Amino acid sequence: MTVATNNRVIEYREALREAMSEEMRQDERVFLLGEEVAQYNGAYKVSKGMLDEFGSRRVIDTPISESGFSGMAVGAAMRGLRPIVEFMSWSFSLVAADPILNNAAKMLYMSGGQFGCPIVFRGNDGAGGQLASTHSWCVESMYANVPGLKMVIPYDAYDAKGLLKEAIRDDNPVFFLESERLLSTTCHVPEEEYTIPFGQALIRRQGTHCTIISFGRPLHFCLEAAEELAKEGIDCEVVDGRTIRPLDIDTMAASVKKTSTCVVVDQSWSFASVGSEIASQLHAICFEDLDNHVHRVHSDDVPPPYAYNLEQAYLPNTRKICEAVRSATYNT
Amino acid sequence: MPIEITMPKLSDTMEAGTILHWHVNVGDDVVAGDVLADIETDKATMELQSFDDGTVDQIIVGVGDQVRVGTTIALLKEDDDSSVENDVMVLDVNEPKDTQDTQIDLPVPEPTSTPIQSPTTQEEPSIGGLRVSPVARRLAEEHGVDLQAIQGSGPAGRIIKRDILQIVGATIETTAAAQTTVHGSEANVISRTSTVPPMQPLAPVSPWQENRTEPISNMRQIIARRLVESKQTIPHFQVTMSFDLDPLLEMRTTLNEQLESSGVRLSVNDFLVRCCALAMTKHPEFNASFGGDCILYHGPVNIGIAIALPEERGGGLVVGSIRNADQKSLRTISQETAYLSNKARESGLSVEEMADTTFTISNLGMFGVEHFTAIINPPNSAILAVGAAMEKPVVRQGELAVGREMSVTLSLDHRVIDGAMAALYLKTLKELIENPAALLV
Repeated sequence: MTVATNNRVIEYREALREAMSEEMRQDERVFLLGEEVAQYNGAYKVSKGMLDEFGSRRVIDTPISESGFSGMAVGAAMRGLRPIVEFMSWSFSLVAADPILNNAAKMLYMSGGQFGCPIVFRGNDGAGGQLASTHSWCVESMYANVPGLKMVIPYDAYDAKGLLKEAIRDDNPVFFLESERLLSTTCHVPEEEYTIPFGQALIRRQGTHCTIISFGRPLHFCLEAAEELAKEGIDCEVVDGRTIRPLDIDTMAASVKKTSTCVVVDQSWSFASVGSEIASQLHAICFEDLDNHVHRVHSDDVPPPYAYNLEQAYLPNTRKICEAVRSATYNT
Repeated sequence: MPIEITMPKLSDTMEAGTILHWHVNVGDDVVAGDVLADIETDKATMELQSFDDGTVDQIIVGVGDQVRVGTTIALLKEDDDSSVENDVMVLDVNEPKDTQDTQIDLPVPEPTSTPIQSPTTQEEPSIGGLRVSPVARRLAEEHGVDLQAIQGSGPAGRIIKRDILQIVGATIETTAAAQTTVHGSEANVISRTSTVPPMQPLAPVSPWQENRTEPISNMRQIIARRLVESKQTIPHFQVTMSFDLDPLLEMRTTLNEQLESSGVRLSVNDFLVRCCALAMTKHPEFNASFGGDCILYHGPVNIGIAIALPEERGGGLVVGSIRNADQKSLRTISQETAYLSNKARESGLSVEEMADTTFTISNLGMFGVEHFTAIINPPNSAILAVGAAMEKPVVRQGELAVGREMSVTLSLDHRVIDGAMAALYLKTLKELIENPAALLV
């Protein structure tokens, strides 16, 4: 489906815009709302030009009130629309916890199947770079705990577009976690229509000695670490989970059965995290195939620091991943 | 801690051993592998080697004394030991602490700086006390590797995957094929993605990467499991006899000429099936199975025929069952054999068509094999390995002549059949084969 007829390369943010614009052209129930998405063309220029194309009825600037506009999206979705809610940062979604977790994720269940909430909540997740403790949230572990929602973390522009289109078409609330650090990255994105189904992990690098599993931005460090480790003779397989709910544990387990060792890299804190969940599932599925316990690399268990050097040390970085892989493969 | 040297269990049936000669004296330094003593068992005289380094501190059992397996016969002082504590020496030489199932013929890992196992005084080396990663434990089981004999290279002596791979000659690689989700076209996208390093050919990093491995088929798994079980649990022995095949071959030629019009073509194997079946009615212990505390004598005589499967069907072999072969004519046996081997090669046999054999014939004569031995197909008590009819110089009535001879080798379960019984069976078989007219009636 994606055999390219050209080699068009675009930015991650452009891929997001294309996904939204294409879906809005095809389905007039779809609309975008959020802070500065319209007149300012988006705080990160993701929605650039969309106000001009779709008008202020479908590209809506909201006040700084996440709880209010998220709740509005819930109501709109219950009445049959398909809102896309942009959070400037997922850090700000915390004030909207009630509408997004208590309403959106539970509405289909609580209404006995009468009302679903086909909403895409999207925005930057994780450390943007010196945004300090309150604005550097990784919400995936906290929110993935809630049943009734789907969660996507695209790593590159190709996945960003294909997964966002899939998210907009999905009848459930989808938490779509982007990264400010990835918005300017580029890769080939075909002009042809495509979507990427949820629950299909992607092997971004093949290897035989250790499986590294991650999502979103930390994959960059995983791939860097894999190159580094290859020089030492440790051959890593890097698996991009792509979606956290649903989780493609089958692909992950197949890789671990091949390599016998695994490092899960998760940018959230370690306690009760996506990483601990994956490790637990792998221990259950791959027990007889493991040569070591599943190792995990997370952000350190402290509020994100502001200082550049401290923030670098705090995040799951290449050095930490290399150390974890060496330890998991008994190469210390 | 002193290291206790105990009377090892050097054979399955050994219960006690006698010291024939001590190669060391008190005060001698020994290193692992040094011969400490000659020990006479119920079967043979064997050397007792040291598994440890140390100094001989005490010789407890003297030359000529017989003690039970597990009895401490000497004490070794580790090099860093200052002395052997007195209480250890209070050992009743005549009363081993525990002789039940004492296994000391396993090499015991050397003590390490971080001991992971209690010292060698441990009565029953317990697998549970070893640190072994789950995959290493599984691989060791699959390849019959003795975990007790391995010094793990992981933390605190943990036995890990590479320790097993090194031992099994690096024949295993990762058998679970990568279920990659690099879905066709998407993989292309990945390789063009600027932020992702391109896939690179992997540099050879470990010796085992270069070997080829293929996952084994179900059939191969079953063959492997059953034959290991057979060879390890059944005390096999073999008896070979050669037959003058001239009379049988002559009769076969005649019969085949006369039966040509009816589409029957008898093979040597068909005669063998009938001969073996008839011989079994005379020697019922060949139509029997070992039942633990009894011997099961089977009523029907069902002869199994080993059928090799073609490569394109994955190879391997199956055993087809000719039921009540003692009651069937050569013609029926021939037809059934042809049916079974064709069906096995083309579509496979049903469970019914393979079940309930009481004796098996494996024939490699058609490949020119002169002589071989086969592994018993449980629960059979015997299998006949059949070689080719070979032209040989033979002496007949004082004259040297050219005759055709065939050599067959019986593999037998010694729990059921003894050597003389095997010889008598082969004698009956020889009479039948060399006087084939009896087969017709």
